[in-house]
Amino acid sequence: MHRGKLDILQGTLDLMVLQILDTMGPMHGYGLARRLEQVSEDALQINHGTIYASLLRLIQRGWIAGAWGTSENGRKAKFYSLTSSGRKQLRAEADKWERMSAVVGRVLRTAGRG
Amino acid sequence: MLAGIRTLLSRIGLTLRPGSEDDDFERELRAHVQLMSDDLVRRGVAPDEAMRDARIRLGGVTQLRESHRERARLSWVGSFVQDARYAARTLARSRGFSAVAILTLAIGIGATTAIFSVVYAVVLKPLPYPRPEQLFNVFQVQEAQQNTGTGWSYPNFADLRDRNHVFSGVAGSQHHQLTLTGWGDPIAVNTSVVTAEFFTVFEGTPITGRIFSTRDGEPGAPGVVILSEALWRGPFAADPNIIGRAIDLDHRSFTVVGIMPEQFRFPLMRESRQLWIPLRQDPLFGAWTERRGGHWLQVTGRLRPGVTPAQAQADLDAMAARAQREFPAENAGWTARMLPLQRMIVFDVRSALLVLLAAVCVVLLIGCANIANLLLTRATTRSREMAVRAALGASRWRLARQMFTETVVLGALGGAAGLAIAYLGVGALSSLVPPNVPRVHDIRIDPAVLSFAVALSAAATLAFGVAPSLFASNVDLQTRLREDGRSGESAGRRRARNALAAAEVALALVLLTAGGLVLRSFAKLTSVNPGFDAEHLLKAEISLPRFEYSTPEQWRGFTRDLLNRLHAEPGLQNTAVTIPAPIADGAINLSFEIMGTPAPSANASRAANYVSITPEYFTVMGIPLVAGRAFDAHDAADSTPVCVISEALARMYFPDRTPIGQRLRFGFPPGPDVTREIIGVAGDVHDVLLEKPPGAMMYVPFWQAPFPGAVLVVRTTLDPGAVVATIRRDVAAMNPNLPVTDVGLMPDLITASLAQPRFRAFLMSVFGIMALGLATIGIFGVISYSVSRRTHEIGVRVALGASRGQIFRMVLGETAMLTAAGFALGVPFAMFATRLVGHLLFGVSDHDPLTLVAVAFTLAAAAALAGYLPARRAMRVLPMVALRHE
Repeated sequence: MHRGKLDILQGTLDLMVLQILDTMGPMHGYGLARRLEQVSEDALQINHGTIYASLLRLIQRGWIAGAWGTSENGRKAKFYSLTSSGRKQLRAEADKWERMSAVVGRVLRTAGRG
Repeated sequence: MLAGIRTLLSRIGLTLRPGSEDDDFERELRAHVQLMSDDLVRRGVAPDEAMRDARIRLGGVTQLRESHRERARLSWVGSFVQDARYAARTLARSRGFSAVAILTLAIGIGATTAIFSVVYAVVLKPLPYPRPEQLFNVFQVQEAQQNTGTGWSYPNFADLRDRNHVFSGVAGSQHHQLTLTGWGDPIAVNTSVVTAEFFTVFEGTPITGRIFSTRDGEPGAPGVVILSEALWRGPFAADPNIIGRAIDLDHRSFTVVGIMPEQFRFPLMRESRQLWIPLRQDPLFGAWTERRGGHWLQVTGRLRPGVTPAQAQADLDAMAARAQREFPAENAGWTARMLPLQRMIVFDVRSALLVLLAAVCVVLLIGCANIANLLLTRATTRSREMAVRAALGASRWRLARQMFTETVVLGALGGAAGLAIAYLGVGALSSLVPPNVPRVHDIRIDPAVLSFAVALSAAATLAFGVAPSLFASNVDLQTRLREDGRSGESAGRRRARNALAAAEVALALVLLTAGGLVLRSFAKLTSVNPGFDAEHLLKAEISLPRFEYSTPEQWRGFTRDLLNRLHAEPGLQNTAVTIPAPIADGAINLSFEIMGTPAPSANASRAANYVSITPEYFTVMGIPLVAGRAFDAHDAADSTPVCVISEALARMYFPDRTPIGQRLRFGFPPGPDVTREIIGVAGDVHDVLLEKPPGAMMYVPFWQAPFPGAVLVVRTTLDPGAVVATIRRDVAAMNPNLPVTDVGLMPDLITASLAQPRFRAFLMSVFGIMALGLATIGIFGVISYSVSRRTHEIGVRVALGASRGQIFRMVLGETAMLTAAGFALGVPFAMFATRLVGHLLFGVSDHDPLTLVAVAFTLAAAAALAGYLPARRAMRVLPMVALRHE
């Protein structure tokens, strides 16, 4: 485990993938991996392979769809985009996540003070 | 929910299309590496290095691929498919084993399914009428006289109909033939004579036209007829304007009022060309509607909803008591009973069919035991494979599942092949089933039979698959792997195999005993002397339309004229007339009194089968006259009424005096009060069925007791076809509208009367042979496997000085033990089985010693043969070879 880098939970990764696809539009697997690293300012250490496990899970649930396309530098790549049920799921999950992290933050602060 | 389904669908999609998704994922991973290395190169990394870094960042590609595949599939479906594929490969590799197992199973399942299709169609399937469970056959019994299951007289039926509180309707019916003329050649057509309520009770709906109304049942109503669809499509060529047309039956005009669809049958026989007419309009039975004595009308009642059979029986009892009070002369001692119509229809054949089904199930069981044994043997030889798998981490459950998958594949293949055999078997069977079995036209592979076959295959798979799977997966790693290729066998497995073989012997013993008895009974039947000489005897029937020939004088005149013509033909001098003919026709049972001797009790009457014959009859038939004289030309219409009785009647009613000169009085014909003098005693004849002992019979001169028709019996060595042609020509010369029907050679008719016992004997023999063969193979398999397992041991024994004879005896001894165990196990069941078939037997006791000895001997001989070959092989084992072996 690299010091100073965060390990991520499975469900969290799925949520982040949905979030990125929502804000950035259709992306391929490598793009998603890069984007994840960028937004977390390289604090998140991910094995790129795990992205694909997450993508498969999301496809099986019907929240994203995949199609082959051409990348910005002319390579064949599979692009993923959010489906409408995925968007709904993201709303619900994001809400839940915010409430949850608020609670966790509060608890941690209280505990720290005590 | 929806998402869950989608996941499942996408997984199944992947499972069913292996490969495509893998390729897709492979390409995607390659694209990922490419994109990343492009990126790195842009940032100044050298291309080679960039590629390597990209791969590292992606992670273990193989692992990724595996986990992707794993996640993308339903794991259990995947592993089942994997197991099934593996099983198919394994089975394909050991072709001999698979062929034997699948064939055994296919024959067992096929035969069982075919027999079940017959049982289902004949016995189990609901009758083809609406709410058939409400339909009951209502019959009269006179317990004191052991008169069971007889019909009703019309007045008694009418009382039942009008007085009962439990039936929504009751209907009476009888069956005979009428002559249809005016549509091509005259034909004799099956006719059901029914009361007006008939179609209402059976809830039959015509294709077109109407059913009978109450008015059609009244005296003097104009003649009406309902045709069956088959008859309408046959002789009437599906004439669309048939309703309202008149047709001629026995030269009387009947107006067609309806056509019943093919599905509506009554009686439920193969032949569906028939017609229905109201009882009162029938030339024969119509005349009997006023008489209260007599028991000829079959009655079916439909219970009111909510009425229990017990309540109905109570009502019948009350009505019978009243009838006895009101009309003691006719009804003394008579009560009424009822049985579900379905039971009644298949009364005779039900138990025989169930015995056959049980027998074929036994064959299937023996087959399953054989397959189980084969699987056990294979499991032993494969125990090292199992040990390796277990060592590599397969759980016991996983191993058992894989073994069981193999048996499932085996079961499925066997079941499918069995179904194919069943299809063929049903075709063969339905032509083999005797025509007098009801509902044979319904025998087919329908959804019910198909489900039975599937359930049977599943049950068989469980039966032969569970034990071997559990044994096979019970792997003792240490010993197996250490054994260094020599796969010894656990005692438990050996015991299981021996037990299976012994069980096979036991089952075969049961089946062979039952089959042997049935077969021997059939042999006895065919060697029964019918009491007359059937060789070169031909029979033909002419029945006179009763509207055209209405008086006894006309009947006498016709028969006399016909006999004169025939006697003038060359080669036909030996021709007589009888009504009815023995075996070929039914019997006419009549009660009689002995003048001067009171009846034994008020509730009992004496009865005998009544035959009206011309004087030549005894000579033509070869029936010996034991005492007195036969009829001659002097016994004419206006001379002293006389009769000849059979030996059985003489024995029964004149045990201590000569019957000659005694006088009898019958209620029929020509008048109820005719007394007849006994002038002779004739030899006994099996007049109804060979399996029924000769009953009391009385013969009367045709000229004194004529019928409207004649059954001709001709003894001739001429070609039967030519004889029949001559008869037809002579009949046509007298009246061109008379058909000659029911033509047959007496030996053929006797053979036909044995159709049901022959069917049983044939199938029981087939099943017996199958059981014997399978059990022999079973013993052979176990013993020869044991010998091959013990090659090493035998080698040691020989090396230590055992003689060949000793080795031979040792192996045969093992066979004998196995067989003896099977016998011990089988005998109690065999005793039980003989009791089950007891009522199907004729002239053989159900523990006939000859049969039992023969069966035991046959089975022991088969076992000895099965043990002999491996024993010989064991005897030839060379110690050096054996000790180096393995």
